[in-house]
Amino acid sequence: MIENSKAKSFASPLLWANDIFCSKSTGISWNSLAALCWIHRAKMDTNLVEMFRAGLNWVTMALDAPSARVVLFGVRIQWHIFVEVLLGFVIVILLSQKSYKPPKRPLTEQEIDELCDEWVPEPLIPPITEDMRHEPPVLESAAGPHTTVNGKDVVNFASANYLGLIGHEKLLESCTSALEKYGVGSCGPRGFYGTIDVHLDCETRISKFLSTPDTILYSYGLSTMFSTIPCFCKKGDIIVADEGVHWGIQNGLQLSRSTIVYFKHNDMDSLRSTLEKIMTKNKRSKNLRRYIVAEAVYQNSGQIAPLDEIVKLKEKYKFRVILDESNSFGVLGRSGRGLAEHHGVPIEKIDVVTAAMGHALATEGGFCTGNARIIDYQRLSSSGYVFSASLPPYLASAAITAIDVIDQNPELLVKMKQHIALLWKGLKDIKGMSLASDPESPIVFLKLENSSGSTKEDLLLLEKMADRALKEDSLLVVSSKKSFLDKCRLPVGIKLLVSAGHSESDLVKVSESLKRLASELLL
Amino acid sequence: MYVRALPTTDVNRNTEWFTYPGVWTTYILILFFSWLLVLSVFHCSPGMAWTIVHLAHFTVTYHSFHWKKGTPFGDDQGIYNRLTWWEQIDNGKQLTRNRKFLTVVPIVLYLIASHTTDYQHPMLFLNTLAVFVMVVAKFPHMHKVRIFGINGDQ
Repeated sequence: MIENSKAKSFASPLLWANDIFCSKSTGISWNSLAALCWIHRAKMDTNLVEMFRAGLNWVTMALDAPSARVVLFGVRIQWHIFVEVLLGFVIVILLSQKSYKPPKRPLTEQEIDELCDEWVPEPLIPPITEDMRHEPPVLESAAGPHTTVNGKDVVNFASANYLGLIGHEKLLESCTSALEKYGVGSCGPRGFYGTIDVHLDCETRISKFLSTPDTILYSYGLSTMFSTIPCFCKKGDIIVADEGVHWGIQNGLQLSRSTIVYFKHNDMDSLRSTLEKIMTKNKRSKNLRRYIVAEAVYQNSGQIAPLDEIVKLKEKYKFRVILDESNSFGVLGRSGRGLAEHHGVPIEKIDVVTAAMGHALATEGGFCTGNARIIDYQRLSSSGYVFSASLPPYLASAAITAIDVIDQNPELLVKMKQHIALLWKGLKDIKGMSLASDPESPIVFLKLENSSGSTKEDLLLLEKMADRALKEDSLLVVSSKKSFLDKCRLPVGIKLLVSAGHSESDLVKVSESLKRLASELLL
Repeated sequence: MYVRALPTTDVNRNTEWFTYPGVWTTYILILFFSWLLVLSVFHCSPGMAWTIVHLAHFTVTYHSFHWKKGTPFGDDQGIYNRLTWWEQIDNGKQLTRNRKFLTVVPIVLYLIASHTTDYQHPMLFLNTLAVFVMVVAKFPHMHKVRIFGINGDQ
């Protein structure tokens, strides 16, 4: 029946089926198939069988019809022509359709009801936990070595008044005369009529004190660091920062949008391996700007950064160093010139030095020192400088006076160092806590020996200790402050900020009290 | 010699490249040259080469037009995050010229592939399956439809 190009026809399914059924080679005929059906279903209706056979006969005849072998223009007409013509029609229909935008289907009533039923309102404020209820004590007088809290006179170990300059008569005198001369505010940013001669004098005085080419003043101590870092570090740069930096620096790192790599707190081996990894792993690192950010005296732990090693590493791997000297300016070094003098490193080797003046200098504001180009760049690109009002003039003149006082009275530093040593001696054998800070840092940090593992629990315990110290012994001590945004994971503890203005009896009192409370609460 | 292209009205940077003149021609030329490439690399019959081109075209276009959602640009704030490229072009308008062109191309490729392989079995089956999936995916009724949740959002 079908002899044309068996190879092609075998591929065609219908013809193939037909072939199987009708070919003499397979020996199955319609009749035998019907017989099989009949044998299988004993009660089959013969009418159906008849119809079935008639239908199949018709199909065979149709396929066998002469048109199946018509040759039209040299192309054999087979079933695939129909498929192609069909697809051609589909294309034509498709191309003739008009374009339309699918209608926006609004939500049905039922869908709206479902959504409303599922919705659970979120509370406006999170549930108040135990650690949120703690309110720090409020000072009712100046934050000197002795202050008033709740009407009671307490010894103040919570203010960073390292040299005891709060309430110093020279500072008060210069403030009063500045107030009388310039008024209170400066009413403008530095670039827009807010620059007063006291600002320029302050900048020159700081430069002379630290023997750096230039200085720039900021109006808020905390914002010094988080304006300086994004000024120099941009997206795509690499910053290697210590994991224990305070929140201001963390904010600056986040604002800079650079790649941040943290190294273990004050661990020079970790820093070395991190720098090594960065420089060798990424071939592109050589074309990126690279920075190391560290604090001179860490606010969160009281450690002092080993600047000589940092400078050695920086010179080996070609990084730039940004150092925050807030707690070391006026404190470390033989004449109070900061960490560089303390370690004997020339200050030119540090690229950017910033400091907040609210600590040893007992004023407010901050400054940044360094190369003249670095400082000049900040005058146009640093957000905190350009977009904030400038420092009130009386604070700038107080800063000048404070530096003069430090210059002329080196015995303040000696006294402060003696007080630190005394406190260390007193707290050496405290039970349940250990001294975790550097022996020369003005921040004496007591961390819990057996931490409960959760920061909240530790803080609750420490706050209880601080509250009892306040109530029973009239001592104002603080535990480390942890805000929700702070990503620092260092252990919490009690921070004691030693001042040159404390008397020896104060120090003895605080060590006795802490030892007693630690043995009562922590064992 | 250079065509002066009007700035496009499509704000979606993921799909605006398809609105410029010359895209269709480039598309067809890419298909043709890839057929030549396959022929020269694999030394197979022309029909086999067309089948390979058709199936490769199916894989590539299905993945990039109908599977991957969203845009590679971060600053469009994720408004296209649930839409595949096919659902994004021409701003969601159905049956525009671009869409008709992109629907016709796989059908034509199928016809060429199946014709030149003489409708032989393993290739024919694969080609038919490919074109079926391709064309169904491009129906206007399938706009934003995810069958059985395949490629749906969490």
